[in-house]
Amino acid sequence: MSNRLGLGGWVILGLAFAFFALPLGMSAAFSFWEGGDRYGFAAYRWLAASPALGEALWLSVRLALATVAALVVLLVPAMIFMNLYAPKLRPLFEFIAALPFVIPAIALVAGLTELFSGEQWGWLKETPFFLVIPYFFLALPYVYRALDVGLQALDLTTLTEAGQSLGADMGQIIGLVVLPSLRSALVGSTLLTLAVVIGEFTFANVLLFRTYAVFINQIGQHEATAAAALSFASFIATWVAMLIVLVAGSRKQGGR
Amino acid sequence: MSFNRRSLLATGAAAGAFSLLGRGPSFAATPGPNVPANLIAAAKKEGQINVIALPRDWANWGVSMDRFQELYGLKLDNANPDGSSAEELQAIRSLKGQKRAPDVVDVGPAFAISGAKEGLYAPYKVATWKDIPNDVKHPDGLWYGDYYGVASFAVNKSVVKTTPMTWADLKKPEYKGMIALNGNPLSAGAAIGAVYAAAIANGGSFDNINPGIEFFGELARLGNLNPAVATPATLVAGQTPIVINWDYLSLGYKQANADKANIEVLVPKEARPFGNYYCQAISKFAPNPNAAKLWMEYVYSDEGQLAFLGGFAHPIRFDALVAAGKVPEAVMKTLPPAEGYKGVKFPTPDQAAKAKKDLTDNWPKVVKI
Amino acid sequence: MKAPVAWLFIGAFIGVSAIFLVAPTVMLAIQAISDDEGWTLEYLLDLQQYRYWVAFVHSMQLSVASATVGVVAGALIAFAVLKPGTPRWLNQAVTSFSAVAANFAGVPLAFAFVATIGSLGLLTNLLKTIGIDLYGMGFSLFSITGLTVVYSYFQIPLMVIVITPAIQALRPSWREAAENLGASGLEYWRHVGLPVLAPSLLAGWILLFGSAFSAYATAYALTSGNIGLVTTEIANVLSGNVASEPQIGAALSVGMIVVMVVVLALSTWLTRRASRWVKQA
Repeated sequence: MSNRLGLGGWVILGLAFAFFALPLGMSAAFSFWEGGDRYGFAAYRWLAASPALGEALWLSVRLALATVAALVVLLVPAMIFMNLYAPKLRPLFEFIAALPFVIPAIALVAGLTELFSGEQWGWLKETPFFLVIPYFFLALPYVYRALDVGLQALDLTTLTEAGQSLGADMGQIIGLVVLPSLRSALVGSTLLTLAVVIGEFTFANVLLFRTYAVFINQIGQHEATAAAALSFASFIATWVAMLIVLVAGSRKQGGR
Repeated sequence: MSFNRRSLLATGAAAGAFSLLGRGPSFAATPGPNVPANLIAAAKKEGQINVIALPRDWANWGVSMDRFQELYGLKLDNANPDGSSAEELQAIRSLKGQKRAPDVVDVGPAFAISGAKEGLYAPYKVATWKDIPNDVKHPDGLWYGDYYGVASFAVNKSVVKTTPMTWADLKKPEYKGMIALNGNPLSAGAAIGAVYAAAIANGGSFDNINPGIEFFGELARLGNLNPAVATPATLVAGQTPIVINWDYLSLGYKQANADKANIEVLVPKEARPFGNYYCQAISKFAPNPNAAKLWMEYVYSDEGQLAFLGGFAHPIRFDALVAAGKVPEAVMKTLPPAEGYKGVKFPTPDQAAKAKKDLTDNWPKVVKI
Repeated sequence: MKAPVAWLFIGAFIGVSAIFLVAPTVMLAIQAISDDEGWTLEYLLDLQQYRYWVAFVHSMQLSVASATVGVVAGALIAFAVLKPGTPRWLNQAVTSFSAVAANFAGVPLAFAFVATIGSLGLLTNLLKTIGIDLYGMGFSLFSITGLTVVYSYFQIPLMVIVITPAIQALRPSWREAAENLGASGLEYWRHVGLPVLAPSLLAGWILLFGSAFSAYATAYALTSGNIGLVTTEIANVLSGNVASEPQIGAALSVGMIVVMVVVLALSTWLTRRASRWVKQA
């Protein structure tokens, strides 16, 4: 077996390409349809003229960045330390990471509302950044798995001991040794979180915040081609954005 | 709050080509409804009204909301335009005490009743109270119906060669995979309406929805039922070319997409039409209670009621308005023929509750896709 | 001493989770066993009804199927793309595409598939012209099989993202060592590659299972809830336009939690077995 992508590899990728491109292509084709035999950009022009679109998108992007920050601060250190000092807590972490999948969004909203029902929390519930709390947990299962797979692939104990025997303290070991080794897991986690937050609909809708996903849904209920145009355009735009993030990130690494 | 009337209107204007903005009788010249001046003053002092779950192209709410703002200079905030009745009540609970909380809601009858039971509404009787039929209002004014529609067929003529004219027609083999509903009959009002209407056309009654369930079971067996949720996109794209939905929605989609597809809307004639209505209620925790009352007065005034007709929905005071000769001939012409609506009656909440129970018990057993 | 700081972070995470995640769960559990008068098992017992029972069966079938397809296809694609000889642009294009596709679900995805292989879809019609009648042969987009196909659209990319770090950790030196000892490609995989990857493959499978199990919007858009799934049943009772029975919703949610706990327990046990030999190395 060589390192090149042999025939088998290209076949797999080719099949994958066909499977993923076809439905996307259908959406795209429909978005350009203007009735009868005419095709054009009418739906896209309509979208571009809509100021609500920009506002909704900007809100979603800010929420996504806030959620990523919260996850990096709270989850990454906790997982590293759990693996190092408290591996017996793993089942607890796994359970917590699985919970968001089984608590229906509606129920979680009701629960959070009950929790914050006091007068003193009014300021928190008025700001859309209240959503970062449920979003943190929605992204949690994906980010936990991605980080877990990455951490398992390292030999944390040996790395830490080696670092300590060289005289480094914990902060240095984590910052200079562990995190760089987790690079691909961290990148994956960030990408997943961004995608989860930008696509999240239920919480934002029930709490009446106009995020991007809420906007797309509204469009879809009333306009035919505009909805397809929006989902296709979002897909491509997000893809390009992430590609840029990836390429820029790897460029910086390239120097080493 | 970055979403405001300006951006809402801008979106609405941009969507003008696709929506019903500007439809219906021209109101520019008429004065506002007859409302006590001190109510208007109190409402203006509050300066804002929060509504919820009112899609602009549903029963011409877009025009009503714009006209209300124009008449009284209040700022109108429309949250979650496509929300369900359950979400509206949840908003009242979740946002209690906040400036963003909804002032008024527009919910299905079951939720009107449950909301009243839960103590979510404040009573108010509008000036035109006596015109509202007794079977669609709460005796103390906690909620009352505002408009109604009947179950209808929306047919994409670009895909369907021969339009089905009756419920029995839907069983023909030429309609394989074509017929869809606007949601799940176990939870979506329009879908329940479709099943109820099918029941009445096939020997059932308000007390017995089972023939309707069996009808759809038969459609599923024949392969004519398409389980996907029908949206304007699937109707116009021809993926679900026959949709059973409320008439005002079907007519709205027809008009909005006239440049893309030829949609025909009809009320099948075999049996008495099945209709359902929505109810207005003022939230007990409304941040702007006077604006809420002013809103109600507007919605139930002649002008407000006639505005519904612009969106092809029948206002609750329709009979009184017709009797007083207040409905313009031109508007009557835009609606499907009146015979289709003759004798429309609504199920009582008890009948509706029984129907829902029958659906919950029998639909999963009978309808197999 | 580093230990106190470590416990601070661990404690913070667990604390935050307890407040915002566990509290609502407990509220759900309480709601599932109480009504206007007091405690009752009525709602939990209601789960035995044919309708809800069938919903659990369907949800599990769908989740197992789509998770398995996702793991196999996702791992294969990730492996192909991560080979050192694969062009870098391909690697980056697939990774970024996967991140987006992993969240392309709901109504847009449903519409895309209905337009492609729905009963009146473009591909369906195209195949009819060359003599293949998909729906005549028994295939239907509106079935568990069809849903599995649609779910794969976000399951496969999810797996690609999650398994990537593990595949990157497979050291080429192991491969060389195996070849030097005379092992064929297949033997390498059987004795070295797959066992090392096994814990990560399992972890990916659990994630995909959970992702499918809790998915709602896509299935609803495609079937209007006519194929019973636990999530559509919960949505029916909690957020419809006709009436609401929150306790049944709470009972169903409790059922979902039980299923996930069982699946987690099983996979933890399997993972422990699978990683046993790795630690000895």
